[in-house]
Amino acid sequence: MSDQTVTTRVTGARRARVLAIAKHEYRAAVRSRILLILVVLLILVTAASVYIASAGYAAKLAEYETYRAAAQAQGLDRIAPTPLAALSLLRGPLEYLEIIGAVIAISLGYLSVSRERINRTLPLIRTRPVTAGEQATGTFLGAMGVFATLVATTIAVGIVSIGLLGRDWVNPGELFQIALTAVAALLYLGAFYCLGAIATAKSRFAANGLVIALGIWLLVVLVLPQIGDTMDADNQLPGGLFQALALDHDGELAVLQHFTGYERIRTGIEEASLSKHFERFAFAMSDVKDRYRPYNLPWLLNETRNDIAWLLAYAVAMFVGLRRSFRTQPTIPPGGTP
Amino acid sequence: MIGTIATHQLVALRRQRVFAALLASFVLVSALAGLLGWSSNHTISRVYDEAAKLMVATGQPPPPNPFLLKPALSLLSNMVVYVPLIGALFAVVLGHLSVVEDEASGLGRLLFSRHITRTQYAMGKVTSAAVALVIALGASMGVSALSLLVVNHALAVSDVARLGLFYALSWLYLMSFVLIGIIAVLVTHRRSLALLSAMGAWLVLTFVVPQFTSGLRPTQSLNPIIEPIGTSQRFFQITAHGQPFSVVEQYKATAAVILNTAPAEATGQLALRLLPVAALAAILLLITLKLVQRHDFSRSASNE
Repeated sequence: MSDQTVTTRVTGARRARVLAIAKHEYRAAVRSRILLILVVLLILVTAASVYIASAGYAAKLAEYETYRAAAQAQGLDRIAPTPLAALSLLRGPLEYLEIIGAVIAISLGYLSVSRERINRTLPLIRTRPVTAGEQATGTFLGAMGVFATLVATTIAVGIVSIGLLGRDWVNPGELFQIALTAVAALLYLGAFYCLGAIATAKSRFAANGLVIALGIWLLVVLVLPQIGDTMDADNQLPGGLFQALALDHDGELAVLQHFTGYERIRTGIEEASLSKHFERFAFAMSDVKDRYRPYNLPWLLNETRNDIAWLLAYAVAMFVGLRRSFRTQPTIPPGGTP
Repeated sequence: MIGTIATHQLVALRRQRVFAALLASFVLVSALAGLLGWSSNHTISRVYDEAAKLMVATGQPPPPNPFLLKPALSLLSNMVVYVPLIGALFAVVLGHLSVVEDEASGLGRLLFSRHITRTQYAMGKVTSAAVALVIALGASMGVSALSLLVVNHALAVSDVARLGLFYALSWLYLMSFVLIGIIAVLVTHRRSLALLSAMGAWLVLTFVVPQFTSGLRPTQSLNPIIEPIGTSQRFFQITAHGQPFSVVEQYKATAAVILNTAPAEATGQLALRLLPVAALAAILLLITLKLVQRHDFSRSASNE
């Protein structure tokens, strides 16, 4: 047997082990009742939020169609393009993925570590020829499978609702942009999965790990973006500070020139939050913000390259952390009861 | 007997460092709200100065003073967001831990071999959480009063009264979440299931219900200043009937009136807003007392 054949066999066996653990993770997650409740909750709110957005959209679209038909009938050459963006109706589902999706990911990470501890299957797995690194990769892949199912379902519900209720079907180009958003969502959820698993693996009582992970979630997903928002100079008064001062857009820009340091601190706080990066990328891809609408995909990708880099960096760093914490996790938890 | 259980629970909370975590997070959050309020004041005055310079240079009349539009207690508008977010989540964990630890440590089995009724037990647990919240919110109120003094250079007696009312309202609101945490332990068999289902209830009350009744997107629930949105659709005409029952919206609206950041309302109207918040706490307390009667405390401790 040549060296090359041996290497191929070893790699094949490793892949088989990783895949076996990934399948186990996926099956166990699907069987978990609490996860099922959270997923049903996510899909329900997705459908509801797209329904709410679509109902208004259909009316606006019908108005535009009437205008266009009238303009064409009068023989006008220049017809104003539609100000509507069908994809922006996905804003609700994306925000829910950002908040509830992250809780689901943390719960899954917590469950995958605590399950093996409670069932005392962790020592059993370690008696097999599986390294801790392979186990970490396997569970991560299994979890990504669960998230892929979750994100695909959420987005499919969103697209079908837009089509049926908003009377506007997305075109292939838009579908590609949604697919990129889905990839970003997977990276985002993957990072939170690792957070839940790492915190649980590192704590003596699994429930304490869950509480710590949820504390970090609160900070990253809710508190940091909120600080950034409330520090926005224009957000200081209801209706906008600049409007209260009777300043127009030029005046606003002139005044803001004196606030570069302040704006830098504000952006810095927002940059620290992973969910803000996901939100910016997802909103750019799904035309939520007006300012992104006129541009094509390469421009958008270039504009959000910073957010893409942060998302990738967080996901990779958290995965490395996951592998490390699985390696150092005691097989039999100290103190007897898990 | 209620006092004994409550005291024991408070000692346990202190030993597990849960109480320290609760107190620290409330103090930190109020300090953060104060800091943001100070930053907001500072920004407004700087923007005002720059705008005044700009307008004088272009020969326009100076802009109206925005501080006339900003109420004294608006510094605390961030607290109105933090209480339903961070405070409520901590309240859920507080309620969860006060009961679940008895199951895990086996104390539940030992306890009921003594002369003690289930109602006394439950009331003791609720009292301990109530006291813990009073202390944490009291500390938070102290920090808020201090930051008001620093930023506004003065604190009127009426403002202190408003501050007290706001924190009393927050206490009532948070008690519901303590009870949700307790109920989740009483109805589920696993520790993780209990914590996550209580969190699910928190997510529904805080983010999902406002989306249905007022069309508020989840991130809009995070901003203290909410832009009114068009809810003229038929969908909202139906769901708006549920608005009085959306406790988080009623809490925020009442808090805004108390802090004078929203237009004053008639006392009757305010009482009507307060009713669902109080009713929710009362109903949850009754449910807790009912559930605790038939909860099996003899179950094994190894359920995670």
